[in-house]
Amino acid sequence: MYGFEAMTFNIHGGYLEAIVRGYRAGLLTAADYNNLCQCETLDDIKMHLSATEYGPYLQNEPSPLHTTTIVEKCTLKLVDEYKHMLCQATEPLSTFLEYITYGHMIDNVVLIVTGTLHERDVQELLEKCHPLGMFDSIATLAVAQNMRELYRLVLVDTPLAPYFSECITSEDLDDMNIEIMRNTLYKAYLEDFYKFCQKLGGATAEIMSDLLAFEADRRAVNITINSIGTELTRDDRRKLYSNFGLLYPYGHEELAVCEDIDQVRGVMEKYPPYQSIFSKLSYGESQMLDKAFYEEEVKRLCLAFEQQFHYGVFFAYMRLREQEIRNLMWISECVAQNQKSRVHDSVVFIF
Amino acid sequence: MAQNQRLTVVPTVTMLGVMKSRLVGATRGHALLKKKSDALTVQFRQILKNIVTTKESMGEVMKDSSFALIEAKYVAGENIKHIVLENVQNASIKVRSRQENIAGVKIPKFEYFTDGETKNDLTGLARGGQQVQQCRAAYVKAIELLVELASLQTSFLTLDEAIKTTNRRVNALENVVKPRLENTITYIKGELDELEREDFFRLKKIQGYKKREIERQLAASKQFVEEQFAEKVSLQKGISIKSAQNLLSAGEKDEDIIF
Repeated sequence: MYGFEAMTFNIHGGYLEAIVRGYRAGLLTAADYNNLCQCETLDDIKMHLSATEYGPYLQNEPSPLHTTTIVEKCTLKLVDEYKHMLCQATEPLSTFLEYITYGHMIDNVVLIVTGTLHERDVQELLEKCHPLGMFDSIATLAVAQNMRELYRLVLVDTPLAPYFSECITSEDLDDMNIEIMRNTLYKAYLEDFYKFCQKLGGATAEIMSDLLAFEADRRAVNITINSIGTELTRDDRRKLYSNFGLLYPYGHEELAVCEDIDQVRGVMEKYPPYQSIFSKLSYGESQMLDKAFYEEEVKRLCLAFEQQFHYGVFFAYMRLREQEIRNLMWISECVAQNQKSRVHDSVVFIF
Repeated sequence: MAQNQRLTVVPTVTMLGVMKSRLVGATRGHALLKKKSDALTVQFRQILKNIVTTKESMGEVMKDSSFALIEAKYVAGENIKHIVLENVQNASIKVRSRQENIAGVKIPKFEYFTDGETKNDLTGLARGGQQVQQCRAAYVKAIELLVELASLQTSFLTLDEAIKTTNRRVNALENVVKPRLENTITYIKGELDELEREDFFRLKKIQGYKKREIERQLAASKQFVEEQFAEKVSLQKGISIKSAQNLLSAGEKDEDIIF
């Protein structure tokens, strides 16, 4: 029943919603970012971060600090928080939380598969995987010799199985370009997630469909722009667009025939929410597009916290944390490479 | 070690001819090597200038390419590096080396060529594709510069070696070989002169001997003629001057004569 979640939500979800709101309060603010941008060396950054919630994670690092270490430790914190929430959750919240990580799982699977095809060492590949996307049988991916076996032996037991079977026949698995496979899987994942949220109903469905629609549209625009001038045909392109979102179906039709950025801009300007994004860019420039999309996403994610009694806050929190880690990486790399003037190019303030 | 030793040779005329031709050869070789050394030095300075400019731009380019990598990582996620690395079979940019000839010195030169297409045009399709392509372009530029710098530096080192060797040879010719040859020639000439003088002296001496011999013989024959005349005169007087004189002068010696 929409509107009456207040009555029953807190029975199962109240504790975790409180926890996640607590975590959200620990996100870095604009003042923190300003301090970090003023740092001269990576040690200064470490010092500033030890005053925030990242303190215990960075304390034990030896002094010549590397930017990848900072990012690793922050990701570790995110993983710890996620695991804490996951083990306290009940159905359907636990399924919801798992859905959030399927994206990373897809990335990890694709990484290991390509690495195995090119005969790299399994241990090295496992270290390069994203920690949020690990699952138990991931190491056995390296055993399979071709895609058919891969599916039969390993993937069929993972939660990613339905994505493989829906969109990929077994011939395609062998020949298809890795990127196309990755994007097809991701498309199936988004659609599945969307259906799941619709099934949950109520405020969750409303908020999550908005967020997922934005994600789908963003991916459609990115795919279009990045496939201009490559050998990806229009039909392939259309196959990678998800079948929900603001741009579905007419926008997708128009995007599929676009051949350069200005045509894309023309298509997007028909949709008011995206018009504002594209108006920030001058003609012919697309570098700032990614940052503009990130900013818009952060705005929508923050709005998710305004309502109570829905699961969207968890999704929003995970995404905001990831954005924060991206910001931290950007700031530390700029400081390490002495490019302080470019720091403000890409930092997206969350509050 | 004495600077001006000479070669030990038999001081004959043929040897003199040989030494002279060697000296001519040494002089010509000296002039040619000096020209070669000058040409190499000019090239060397040129390369040095190029190296300085290339290194300066190298700093800028590496900075830009690192930054492009950061931008790509920001948009496409931290793992983009691993994703790209895992997808690669062969290097698509390779380096070839050829030999070039500068003033007689063989110098290796490196040039890069693209071997095979990268099928990674779709990397970062959903996000970050543009940044990845930009990063790729930045690094290709960095590789170009690096290959050029490598060429320049190897030629720098090789030319340096060659210049040192050539200068060593020039100096050796100038300060050791030529003086030695000149000294040898002077020595041979000296020896030949001395031999000539000896011969001349010997000739003169022998002439002197011959003359004295002739005079002595003349004197001896004259005395003989005078004695013969005196003998003839004494025989006419009844006594042989020779025997009478002999008896008187050689009295104690003769055994037969008792008193």
